[in-house]
Amino acid sequence: MSWDNELLERAHKIIELYPQKRSALGPLLYLAQEKDGFISDDSIVEISNLVDITEVQVKSVSSFYSMYKEEQTGTYLLSVCKSISCEINDSRSVINSVKEFTGLENYETDQDKLFTFEEVECIGACGGAPAVQVNYETVEGLTPEKTIEMCEWLKNDKPEIIVADQLQNKFGGTKSFDWAIEDNTGSAYTVPGFQNIGTAKEKDN
Amino acid sequence: MKETLLLTKHMRDFPENSHNIDVYEKNNGYSALKKVLKEDNPENVINEIKDSNIRGRGGAGFPTGVKWGFLAEDEDRYLVINGDESEPGTFKDRILLERDPHQLIEGVIITCFASNIKKAFIYIRGEYAKPARRVQEAVEQAYEKGYLGDNILGTNLSLDIVVHLGAGAYICGEETALLNSLEGKRGEPRLKPPYFPAVMGLYNKPTLVNNVETISSVPWIINNSGKEYAKLGVEGSTGTRIFSLSGHVRTPGNFEIEMGKSFGEFVDTFGNGIKDDKKVKAYIPGGASAPWFTGDQLDIKMTIDDVANAGSMLGSGAVVVMDEDTNLVYAAKSIVSFFAHESCGQCTPCREGTTWLEMILERIASGRGRLSDISLLVDVCDNISPGLSWPPKMTTICPLGPSAVSPITSLLDNFSDELMKMLPTKIPIAQ
Amino acid sequence: MSDQININVNGSEIRTDSDQLIIEACEDSGIHIPRFCWHKRMDPVGMCRMCLVEIETPRGKALVPSCTTKVSEDLIVDTESEVVKKAQEGVLEFLLINHPLDCPVCDKAGECPLQDQTMAYGPGESRFVEDKRHFEKPIPISEIILLDRERCILCARCTRFSDEISGDPLIEFIQRGNKTQVNTFPDEPFRSYFSGNTVQICPVGALTSTSYRFKARPWDLKKVSSTSNCSSMGCSVELNVSQNKMLRILGEDNEFTNQGWLSDKGRYNFEYLHSENRILKPVLNNDSTNEISINESMELISNEISADDNSNISFIVGHNSTNEEYYALNNFVENLNKVNKDQNMNVYLSDDYLYEGFFQNNDLLGKVQDLDSVDTIILWAQDIKDNLPTLYLRIRQAVKNGKKLVIFGHTNTAMKELADSYFGQEIISKNLEFNVEISEIPNFNELINDKNVLAIIGKSSPIQNTNSISNLINYLDKNSNLKILNCFSKGNTFGALQNIDLVKGLNEFINEFDGSKNNIVFTIGSNPVNSSIHSNQIKDKLINANFVISLDLFKNETTELANIILPTTSFGEKEGTFTNLEMRTLKQNKILPTPGSVLNEWEYWSMMLNKIDIENNYESEFELNLQLCEEYLDKDNVPSFDNLNKPSNLDGVLNSKSINIEIQNVEPEKIEILFVNRLYGDSSTQINSPSISMLGAERFIEMNNDTFIKHNLSSYTVNLVQGVSTLQVKIKINNHLPNELIIAPLNRRGFRDIDTTKPYELIEVKNLEELSVN
Repeated sequence: MSWDNELLERAHKIIELYPQKRSALGPLLYLAQEKDGFISDDSIVEISNLVDITEVQVKSVSSFYSMYKEEQTGTYLLSVCKSISCEINDSRSVINSVKEFTGLENYETDQDKLFTFEEVECIGACGGAPAVQVNYETVEGLTPEKTIEMCEWLKNDKPEIIVADQLQNKFGGTKSFDWAIEDNTGSAYTVPGFQNIGTAKEKDN
Repeated sequence: MKETLLLTKHMRDFPENSHNIDVYEKNNGYSALKKVLKEDNPENVINEIKDSNIRGRGGAGFPTGVKWGFLAEDEDRYLVINGDESEPGTFKDRILLERDPHQLIEGVIITCFASNIKKAFIYIRGEYAKPARRVQEAVEQAYEKGYLGDNILGTNLSLDIVVHLGAGAYICGEETALLNSLEGKRGEPRLKPPYFPAVMGLYNKPTLVNNVETISSVPWIINNSGKEYAKLGVEGSTGTRIFSLSGHVRTPGNFEIEMGKSFGEFVDTFGNGIKDDKKVKAYIPGGASAPWFTGDQLDIKMTIDDVANAGSMLGSGAVVVMDEDTNLVYAAKSIVSFFAHESCGQCTPCREGTTWLEMILERIASGRGRLSDISLLVDVCDNISPGLSWPPKMTTICPLGPSAVSPITSLLDNFSDELMKMLPTKIPIAQ
Repeated sequence: MSDQININVNGSEIRTDSDQLIIEACEDSGIHIPRFCWHKRMDPVGMCRMCLVEIETPRGKALVPSCTTKVSEDLIVDTESEVVKKAQEGVLEFLLINHPLDCPVCDKAGECPLQDQTMAYGPGESRFVEDKRHFEKPIPISEIILLDRERCILCARCTRFSDEISGDPLIEFIQRGNKTQVNTFPDEPFRSYFSGNTVQICPVGALTSTSYRFKARPWDLKKVSSTSNCSSMGCSVELNVSQNKMLRILGEDNEFTNQGWLSDKGRYNFEYLHSENRILKPVLNNDSTNEISINESMELISNEISADDNSNISFIVGHNSTNEEYYALNNFVENLNKVNKDQNMNVYLSDDYLYEGFFQNNDLLGKVQDLDSVDTIILWAQDIKDNLPTLYLRIRQAVKNGKKLVIFGHTNTAMKELADSYFGQEIISKNLEFNVEISEIPNFNELINDKNVLAIIGKSSPIQNTNSISNLINYLDKNSNLKILNCFSKGNTFGALQNIDLVKGLNEFINEFDGSKNNIVFTIGSNPVNSSIHSNQIKDKLINANFVISLDLFKNETTELANIILPTTSFGEKEGTFTNLEMRTLKQNKILPTPGSVLNEWEYWSMMLNKIDIENNYESEFELNLQLCEEYLDKDNVPSFDNLNKPSNLDGVLNSKSINIEIQNVEPEKIEILFVNRLYGDSSTQINSPSISMLGAERFIEMNNDTFIKHNLSSYTVNLVQGVSTLQVKIKINNHLPNELIIAPLNRRGFRDIDTTKPYELIEVKNLEELSVN
């Protein structure tokens, strides 16, 4: 399915930000992922036309970066960090609790398309190890128990917008640093919530 | 030992709204910019930076003023802020982006003024969605207040900033890979020469690529002079640095200090020692790429040169402390896996070698090791980084491959008994 | 020219150009540095790391890739140190850990750089006990190419070639790190005119040709260098034969012409040689059961020729004869003329694009290599990418190196992206005439005034009036330092022009055909009844001719009308010379035996002369060659076999002869449909080469989007209706075309019935039923 006018309009706005069209490729891939939950072949065709490169050149780029997904993700992308600071702070037990709760192995998505689970490399939350991202919203200082609670909450409440601060307040522990500033903005897709690509969403209090 | 707050002062003073432009302005924010615009002498700005002796905070530690001096003449020149902070153990740029974005933006505007640049990009790693949002919000505020766009504060200066989100590739922290990524290409490091993007960078135009922390230091240097900055810290490592402390310490976090104190003091003072009063078995002084020091080496001074002389690097300023109960084979495997996962795949030794190392360690960790694996590890490492010396010799375009060698040589040099323990005691017949 | 400097390699002084890479400097001095990714015709990427060498630096010895490091004065290089050897052994071990051990079933085995270098530089055994990387075994990535990702060592030669050289990046790295693989996009396979080059430069057996798969082992191959007659570029090739069968054609690196590259047509158009459809014996009256002996056929033909002193004898020649064969034909005509001056004899070249060209002034004749030295390249000719594909690659290269490209007209839309200036419909009308004074063309003068200019010039369309081309050339000649490449694209056209005293076109054949006379027509390696916009008229004439003799490889629309078909030899079966579009004569060599009772064209001419008792003075290609050499203008540098076989002349010999072409300029007509020749079509050689036979099957026309909308179309499959004829075609949108001009392929089935100057209708195909009725 090709892109509708609204998405194309967003795409053109992004392209205008850059001196050369191709620079918009990364942000456009996020639009594709917002649309389908992954980078579909149809979107690749669309993007190749938008930035004037061949389809396989788009694919070559999209497949290079870990955050562009080749298979459809669930509503919630659970990315559990396993890099050194998390590893030595027992990220393994957090990984196991997510696996246990969801029944998923690395890079798998459940049948209901609710959760996608992945083990990831460093997400820059080393001071708050072990850390997890849900749709690229960070929660730090997790325990296996809190992790399960978080998964349960996601499953039951099905929040439309994931906000780091809310996750942290509900389930987090030690942080990398004092987050200090109150924040209510997050992501509604398995794409980072960011204004320039139109994926940042504010949560109603 | 206490912190010296230059870059993190504003956020400490106004924790709840340090990101707000009004608060920033009220507390001396954008005064450095106004100062340079009033003086209207770009050369002076560059001289101040040179005087400060500040060295790049991304990891390589290249003198910033010198880098600025390389920028070639061209109608189109760019500034790219490297906010792709991804080195395991590092989270210092995250706090600067998240809690004091205007300080960075002010630094960007001054840098562009000094180097006659009209377009700047702030490249932030994809996983830093929240920090990126803060920066974007701040950029929008800065446009509204006339700090960005055409005729900044009524002068002839014009500048546009685009905040660009990465998408999960550690290698894009390497500046030429970052430029490729920003051009919508695979994040593969470019061939050197040309050695400096300042000659041939984004879209093959002269480009300054600077770290978030480096450029965030610019307003302070302008307000207080380069000479004042150079008085802080020690020779060769002037000013302050934000160190990210993590691992088995009681109180992890970011701490801004003058360089020159020992790691032991740092860990004790700011980390409040090790959890459960355990001892330090080993620590990483400068991010996952850096060779480890042992618990007996905590008296090494935190300066670029001292750490280098002791056989490692201060790198991105990430200190990861591992206590006496840490399984260092697992720790090494974690780091090797990281680099194997993040290898771009261009160079054969890195693409094949890092994965092979990971496989061997995986085999050892799961009890399927062989005695011959020790010499195999050494030789595979040697084929990635000949001679296993420090700083590493390379068979590759960029240092990522040799980075995967660091934890293994660290393990073998100082903790080989831990590795041996995981190997079978009997000598296989084939050997 | 760059400076010469000294470097020291392994203790010996070497003199080298200062802008060379270490690997090149060493290569030139006979020191081989192993490599996989480096290829001298492409930008270095320094990825495989096989070519690491040690150099002395102020900070001690450093290991650097010799493919990315330039030489410098007094540089000290060690290519054999222990450190280097260790690194190379290491790289090979790394490459081999994931490389399958399937050499026994791999087409590359025996000529595989990975295999060879492992023997020379590799480790004795593998220490890798883990699982190898697995991928699905060979997957087709186009009709002619297979990809085996397990064998791939990720050298980026294929990806670089398609991006950098051919400009159709359809094959790329996917994923990253250890998961990196080469692949195409699912819906957009490797549909490039140049894909076969990637097979040739692949350093392992990852990319293979369907046509060569499991056919032979390299050590069983017989090889000879030759010249392709795929286009007038005259690409250097190596013919590979096993058990008297042509199995493969490889590109050879000729600095002056193709630089190693070939189009896929040049590479794969050879299977026809062994087609069961080849004519192997003379045939009478197009009746395959009526085979006759050569002697009988000669008897019959000579009787016809001698029967009437007042007959018209016409020769319609194609593009695939050797210079010697054209010369022999010319000699035949000359001798007949001497005997009977009343007979009217003419030679016509079967090429709608023929016109007088620009041959009057030899000083103006340009070379392909001029592309690399001029300031500006002017292109106004038929579609270069389709008709002179390797020249297209050279132009791309020149543009990449900073040459300005100016394109006129509507045929080279595929190159618009490359051009500095593209003069489309504002400047050039649909009739291919200037809309404005040449001097008034915006931004044109600064590109040519007092500049070195190479003009690649030819007719864009068969019915084009050529005054506009002449005007452009006159203007350029006045204002710039001009060189001209006459752009006749087909095969050995220039050999025909050089060796036949007077060459006319097909239009002349039609006009000069006098039905009141006794007409004898020879068609020689040409099929004018199926390859010309005049096909219908030519067919009429041939039907009305008294006697038609066709010399050809296959039966076709023309031989159907022949009284006698004489089977001839083809490329690879004959020795001779070939002249390319820059008047460079190159050698064509024989490597295959002559099949059946087939003779060379010249042998037929010789036998016919004998039959009518005219003495002839040659008995071999060699003697013909010696004779034709006498007419070359530069006597010291003639393209004799002896000369061309000298190592110094393997790249050919530049020399010219006087050329006489007689063509009536056509009156400008209203062009509604612009015919172009596509690379792939329905020539009998192509349709008898199974690997590529289907590539010319698709029927499509091109138009811009406005035209598409104006015709009220909604689907991309339509019927092109003109009078009583209807042709179902697909539409491709090409927005570089002017409004209301449609481009159609001349060399695809069905299009020759279309009159390009008559109105047409496009009617949508409404339902599937209609779709199936083709």
